[in-house]
Amino acid sequence: MSFRIRIPSIWRAKRFLYRLEGYRCSRCGEFHTHSRYVCRRCRSRELTLERLPTRVRLVDYTVVHQATRNNEDNLPFIVGLVETPDGVKILGQITDCEPEDLAPGMELETTFRRIGVDGDANIIVYGYKFRPEIH
Amino acid sequence: MPRHVDSGIVGYGCYIPRYRIKASEIARVWGRDKAELPIKEKAVAAMDEDTITMSAEAARYAIWRAGIEPRQIGAIHIGTESKPYAVKPSGTIVAEILGIPPTTTSADLEFACKAGTEALHIVSSLVGSGRIKYGLAIGADTAQGRPNDALEFTAASGAAALLVGPPSSNNVANIEHSFSFVTDTPDFWRRSYERYPVHTGRFTGEPAYFYHTLSSARNILMENGYSVSDIDYFVFHQPNVKFPLTAAKVLGIPMSKVEPAIVAGEIGNTYAACSLIGLSKVLDIASPGQRILLTSYGSGAGSDSFILSVADGIVERRDKAPRYEQLLRRRVEIDYAIYLKNRDKVRV
Repeated sequence: MSFRIRIPSIWRAKRFLYRLEGYRCSRCGEFHTHSRYVCRRCRSRELTLERLPTRVRLVDYTVVHQATRNNEDNLPFIVGLVETPDGVKILGQITDCEPEDLAPGMELETTFRRIGVDGDANIIVYGYKFRPEIH
Repeated sequence: MPRHVDSGIVGYGCYIPRYRIKASEIARVWGRDKAELPIKEKAVAAMDEDTITMSAEAARYAIWRAGIEPRQIGAIHIGTESKPYAVKPSGTIVAEILGIPPTTTSADLEFACKAGTEALHIVSSLVGSGRIKYGLAIGADTAQGRPNDALEFTAASGAAALLVGPPSSNNVANIEHSFSFVTDTPDFWRRSYERYPVHTGRFTGEPAYFYHTLSSARNILMENGYSVSDIDYFVFHQPNVKFPLTAAKVLGIPMSKVEPAIVAGEIGNTYAACSLIGLSKVLDIASPGQRILLTSYGSGAGSDSFILSVADGIVERRDKAPRYEQLLRRRVEIDYAIYLKNRDKVRV
């Protein structure tokens, strides 16, 4: 049995993948998506757990036509750069829409989806994606 | 069964994926008569959706409506017959997605299409006994029908969640009574390692759906001194549109009291989510003081019934999350080929 997805690293990232929770530096404001003891920008040890907001703004996006590992059956897919109200920028897939529905500056909300499935071991990776708001 | 005075629905939510396939498209592929289709169209999960992701969406809406912190939740039970993992609980993943703490009881429940209301029995009992303050009861499925089988026309995807808590006039609704009625009836089953379920056509109606649905609904009304006129809305499980309307006719229920809960014509039979999505649709329009009778049905077979009294909190809470109609409007029609791809029916 082989694993293409690294289960330990995915498991360690679940706090951010599932809930967009990370560590904010109290001194300089840098946001870290993974657990850290020291701020990567200012070296402060004053890091606090914070959950990013569920509503974000689309900065820009692209449509991926070349299969990446674990996404071979889900082409094409949209990857976007989004920004939270306080300026944290993160990358993520955008779902439940077509590329022509998107425009930089529009509001998106988080949703929870399958990110990928390992080919041999069949373990499923879940995590956040973004989608247009439901009205 | 004794009267409930100890639990209520604090929040509710349903989730419908945006893809739809028309029953006439399935009939076109298999050369079936388009004049006698059980539903108009059904909801189909996207490739990146499954029972876990849909459960998380519905539960998130229930939490929004309840206005509580996820850390206050002490139970999460998911009723489904389409777990993504044969061995690995779905509830723990949904709990972590929602931020529910590890001090939580969780299990995936199976009882065909009534597994969602079985979760409601368990969670309301945990709340009623004082073991927990809040708990989530979820019904969710990405139901599968064998290509060219009668079930393929209706087997659909969806989820619904009820956040159960202490009784209060500020709740969405309070649970007044519950009832359960089960027998060994071989109407529908799936053995291990089989991809699709099998059904015994002649058992599906009278000895299965109607016997259990009618027995459960009649008993909960009779035991508690209610008649049809005391109930404002009746929510039945909906394997198609015809069955719940026939059950209503047999019980002497006016169509105006059952039609507001009918969802199968537009989204299909979402199995463990079906009656709970119907309940969500009714809660979107119900007024404080009205009574709802919810009766599920699950093959194998059995029915659960609940009498709910709509509370004052419904007015303030219902618009804190998307309603059924808003989710229904996100409709994207797909053809049979995309449906096969989305539902992982293409195996090479």
